[in-house]
Amino acid sequence: MKVMVCLKQVPHQDARLDVAADGSWIQEDNIKFEINSYDTYALEEALRAKDAGEAEVVVVSIGPDRVTQALRTALGMGADRAVHVKDPEADASDSLGKAKILAAIAKQEEPDVIYCGLMADDGNFSAIPPMLAELAGMPSATGVISSEASDTSITVRRELEGGCREVVELPRPCLLAIQTGANQVRYASLKGIMQAKKKPVDVKTAADLGVGEQVGAGAAKVKINKIYIPPKSDQAELLEGSTDEIVTQLVGKIRELGVL
Amino acid sequence: MDFRFNEEQEELRSIARSFLEEHSGSEQIRKAMESELGFDPALWEQLGGELGWPSVHIPEEYGGLGLGYVELVALLEITGGALLCAPFFSSVCLGANALLSAASEEQKAEHLPGIAEGQTRATLAYTSPTGCPDASGIEVTASRSGDGFVLQGEYGFVLDGHSADLLVVAARSSGTHGEDGVSLFALPGDSAGLTRRVLPTVDQTRKLAVLELADVHLPQSALLGQEGAGWPALRKTLQLAAIALAAEQLGGAQKCLDMSVEYAKERIQFGRPIGSFQAIKHKCADMMVAVESARSAVYYAACVAAEDGDELAVCASLAQAYCSDTYFRCAADAIQIHGGVGFTWEYDVHLYFKRAKSSESFLGDPAYHRELVAREIGL
Repeated sequence: MKVMVCLKQVPHQDARLDVAADGSWIQEDNIKFEINSYDTYALEEALRAKDAGEAEVVVVSIGPDRVTQALRTALGMGADRAVHVKDPEADASDSLGKAKILAAIAKQEEPDVIYCGLMADDGNFSAIPPMLAELAGMPSATGVISSEASDTSITVRRELEGGCREVVELPRPCLLAIQTGANQVRYASLKGIMQAKKKPVDVKTAADLGVGEQVGAGAAKVKINKIYIPPKSDQAELLEGSTDEIVTQLVGKIRELGVL
Repeated sequence: MDFRFNEEQEELRSIARSFLEEHSGSEQIRKAMESELGFDPALWEQLGGELGWPSVHIPEEYGGLGLGYVELVALLEITGGALLCAPFFSSVCLGANALLSAASEEQKAEHLPGIAEGQTRATLAYTSPTGCPDASGIEVTASRSGDGFVLQGEYGFVLDGHSADLLVVAARSSGTHGEDGVSLFALPGDSAGLTRRVLPTVDQTRKLAVLELADVHLPQSALLGQEGAGWPALRKTLQLAAIALAAEQLGGAQKCLDMSVEYAKERIQFGRPIGSFQAIKHKCADMMVAVESARSAVYYAACVAAEDGDELAVCASLAQAYCSDTYFRCAADAIQIHGGVGFTWEYDVHLYFKRAKSSESFLGDPAYHRELVAREIGL
């Protein structure tokens, strides 16, 4: 079995984020990056599939040089090899463009299962997993909290609204978008870290994958116009008095706003 | 000479930091302190089995990863900063180093794989309850008895001595003094005649024990190296341990600085953060100067240890003396910067202060190590 895991490197959760001068994105200089937390659960799910039997785990990421660190971390945790799409033009793609790049890799790798994180900690689009599944011609399940593979299919439990769960069986090949908390993510062992440097990282461009014309800023259908920090409001008003008085005042304020 | 950590070493540190943030937080430390063992066995199992930390510098032929002292020091800086409560220092930096320095190939093959896997927790016992850190502190006697030896006496301040599976012990032949007549033995923790007692100590993140040996019989095969010629191996073990301890102290001092800076930015007094006051600023800047100097001493000593260089003795004592002073000063200043809350139980600063104090004297105090430095430079 071959398993492909899509990883995104995002700013570290403790990083101080400042908006770039042109307002197009955040300033990425001098901040730490890490693997998107959703993707770590996807990677762990893939590694568990590997632990359970014969499977090759291929990790894939798009981004500049710094992405190598995320791929090395994944290799240290137990992935077998990596594909790094290092292409400044590809970096400027929208979600669809990046899904096309990943679909091109899936076409080459022909995985039995693609594991993705449900969404990215930075963009929060949740767009790439279903787009990639569609482009790769695979059935998909999102919000996956556990998976169990058989010879021809995978049975997954999905998290729904209101605390409900859904059990779905998908034929392979398929794509699973994993929810956080689905498993206990392992740490790379010392041995794994040292072995990671010997594992292959295949560096490609969008052109190498045959999708150079379809991706990048020029092909993007979604463009970020502006990144900004919402201005702080100084219109807070403290209501005083007994609980009944505060409730009466609050209802009055809501009526004033025309909500009631 | 390149003092930067390479990509793998940085990755090792990053993962160690993440792991300890999750598993060696304030709550877990306090729980371990209150326990009889002094650590969480499940955590130790994870460190040994899953993460492989105890195998870091043990050669591959003995089940280790065969990395060097630089990698070990890189890891210890992180464990020291996190006040890790686990028998990592005792097993790896004392027990394993003693075996690597003194044991035969056969003895290494017998004991080191278990230490590398975390299955065997080892430590070193050498000084008497007087705590004298040099050869004159070895008072336990080893006498010939048939084909083996009988050990008699008492060890004090044995790190994790209450729980270690394997004790590398130093004992001297009757009538010998100083560096003469010292032998090293591998003593199983369940030996008949061995009594172990945990000491009440100020730093409960580290458990120390007193070991009483009453007619403890050991076979000839327990002797590590030559009878009566164990001091050079023990001295080297202590020098390597001094560098390891200095790395932990560096991590602790850095953490004291980090906690102080963070608090100085948050704590508002007279309408502004206390970090804006000159008295606090200068204190923090002095801490940083000391920490960075300590870092240079530790990293250089680690490189010397990795290459088994001639400067090992002077570099080990230099790093130990400087890091002891630095850690204690940083911990004391951190308490001052935190003001009234600094020595309350709820804040963690006092835990670092106590660790700084216990580490300061554990392998000889700074004055002792300065004396060793003076000797090494011919004075």
